[in-house]
Amino acid sequence: MSDVLVRLQGLGKAYPKVHRGSDRIRALMRLLVRGVDKDRIEVLRDVSLEIRRGESLGLIGANGAGKSTLLKLISGVLTPTAGTVALNGEVGALLELGAGFHPDYSGRDNIALAAALHGITGAKLREFLPKIIEFADIGNYIDEPIKHYSSGMIVRLGFAVIATLKPDLLITDEVLAVGDESFQKKCIAWMQDYLDGGGTLILVSHSMYHVQKLCKQACWLRGGRIEMLGDVFDVTQAYLAWHERKSASDVAEPDRMHAGEFGVLSVALNGDDKKQVVLMNRGETLDVAMRLHSRDGRPPGVAVGIVRADGTAVYGVSAEMDGFHPMAIDPHEYECTLRFAELQLLPGSYVVRVHAMDTEGARIFDTLECGITVRGSSREFGFVQLPHRWLGGAEATS
Amino acid sequence: MASLGLIVGLTRREIRNRFNGTLSGGLWALLQPLLQLAIYSFVFVRIFNARVPEGSSIAYVPYLAVALWPWTAFSEAVVRASIVIQENAALIGKVAMPRQALVWASVGSSFIVHLAGFAAVVVVLWLLGQGVDPRGILPALLLYVPLFALAAGFAFLCAAMQVFVRDLAPLVTQLMPLLMFTAPIFYGSRQWPSNVQFLLHLNPYTTYAESFRALLLGMGAVDAGNVLVALAAAALVLFAGLWTFRRLDPHFEDFL
Repeated sequence: MSDVLVRLQGLGKAYPKVHRGSDRIRALMRLLVRGVDKDRIEVLRDVSLEIRRGESLGLIGANGAGKSTLLKLISGVLTPTAGTVALNGEVGALLELGAGFHPDYSGRDNIALAAALHGITGAKLREFLPKIIEFADIGNYIDEPIKHYSSGMIVRLGFAVIATLKPDLLITDEVLAVGDESFQKKCIAWMQDYLDGGGTLILVSHSMYHVQKLCKQACWLRGGRIEMLGDVFDVTQAYLAWHERKSASDVAEPDRMHAGEFGVLSVALNGDDKKQVVLMNRGETLDVAMRLHSRDGRPPGVAVGIVRADGTAVYGVSAEMDGFHPMAIDPHEYECTLRFAELQLLPGSYVVRVHAMDTEGARIFDTLECGITVRGSSREFGFVQLPHRWLGGAEATS
Repeated sequence: MASLGLIVGLTRREIRNRFNGTLSGGLWALLQPLLQLAIYSFVFVRIFNARVPEGSSIAYVPYLAVALWPWTAFSEAVVRASIVIQENAALIGKVAMPRQALVWASVGSSFIVHLAGFAAVVVVLWLLGQGVDPRGILPALLLYVPLFALAAGFAFLCAAMQVFVRDLAPLVTQLMPLLMFTAPIFYGSRQWPSNVQFLLHLNPYTTYAESFRALLLGMGAVDAGNVLVALAAAALVLFAGLWTFRRLDPHFEDFL
């Protein structure tokens, strides 16, 4: 069951630059004479990956990263400019809502044509048709023209066709988002069933929940290249962290009130004072060691905060709140360590902020930030695990 | 061939499209050519007082009809099919499918509709005792095969190039009447000045018009040489059309 179903090698796609009519004629001539056209804009570069039978891959990335282009290349709608796509089975693609449906025809007629596009005709179609109609579950609308359908009903129809045909490889592009709650559940249940039965899935979604639920692996595309490929939890976390950093850097940084009276000289997380992101596992202890500067020798106040990479506060505390003072190691330098034992931050990226304050703990004079990444996989939500217990039920036995 | 079922499905859809929303449905396919025939006989015979030039006993309406109906099938097939890829851009961009099927289905549906009209017209003319030779009907239908190939060849050529150069389809629409009037449809070959009559055969439809009249109305004999040239031309055009289409097919999506 581990044969390779899809193999992409050095896959690249570039679109022609066609601004004026004359560009089109030039492109036509080049294609007819030489079979190639070189004046192009690259949207996908050097993508190589393998998907084995039974695997499930989530494709994530920002808008314009090349996700849809990659799907179209795999499904054969687009022709690659570079590299190869090797397929070893039937592909069913749900690239867009109601693709291939004609608005004037009834659902029944459209199913017939959609099936024909997948090579199902005649007796086989008669066998499939009732199953498709049953899965779509849109009642009497099946004999109404599609133009009277809601977008949810169109998705139902499209998904029903694919679900009944059971292709070796299923490719879907953010289609689930349109159906209503119960249909989404039905689709997800179907997909899980399909995966359990040895089906192979490539899913594009902006919902990390869906990706984590359905996929074991993920591929993060960024600017037309594979940024990261691997276990779904690692990749989605890295991707979310990147997003958070991106939106945080979009917001103007608060002014540093660096009057020079008090300052943060250095911060070391778990002994690491290089300006790198510190990796730790969930539940481990985090030591935040800091050295502070005081110009006139008065003891500085200090506060430590943990925020998500996007700036959302998780927890903050100052030495003054706890009635603690840093220790003086010379008249102008103080140091102390804050220990978070068994830190229950959920996997993800965070920033530790150390603030140097005046002795009264009223004003921030300086701030230093360090990044931490908590590794691990979890489907819990939020930033931190709260102590909890389920009561009045039974333990799941698996 | 897996796409044969698809071609059949698309053709059926195309034909239904034409009559979708009409009360009489497919009846139009038969009714319309007969109405057209009545109008022609009024305009050409009553108003223009048109006569068959070769001085035979055939009336002008059957003379015109047996050459005009195949022409209509041919010209409509090429004109419609030349935009079929562009029209189905949405489908092509979202579903992986053999795009050739779209062209085959478009050409096929034009021919089916007009072949039905042709059959209706020929049968009515025969019943009305207009000199139609029933033995010519089967060979005449066979003659539709190379005509279909010729139309398909031009259709593939135009449909593929139209994706890149959008001026092509309007140009084809403009060229069709030119081809129609330079072929012996409304008149006979011998009415051309004898020193330029050979030019008439540069028009690919000339042989078809002459042969349909020879087969169905017994006007002259079918020129075997000309028919062979027409067969070769049809094969050549179909080959060229398919070659061009296949060459450009992978790049359609980039330019649609």
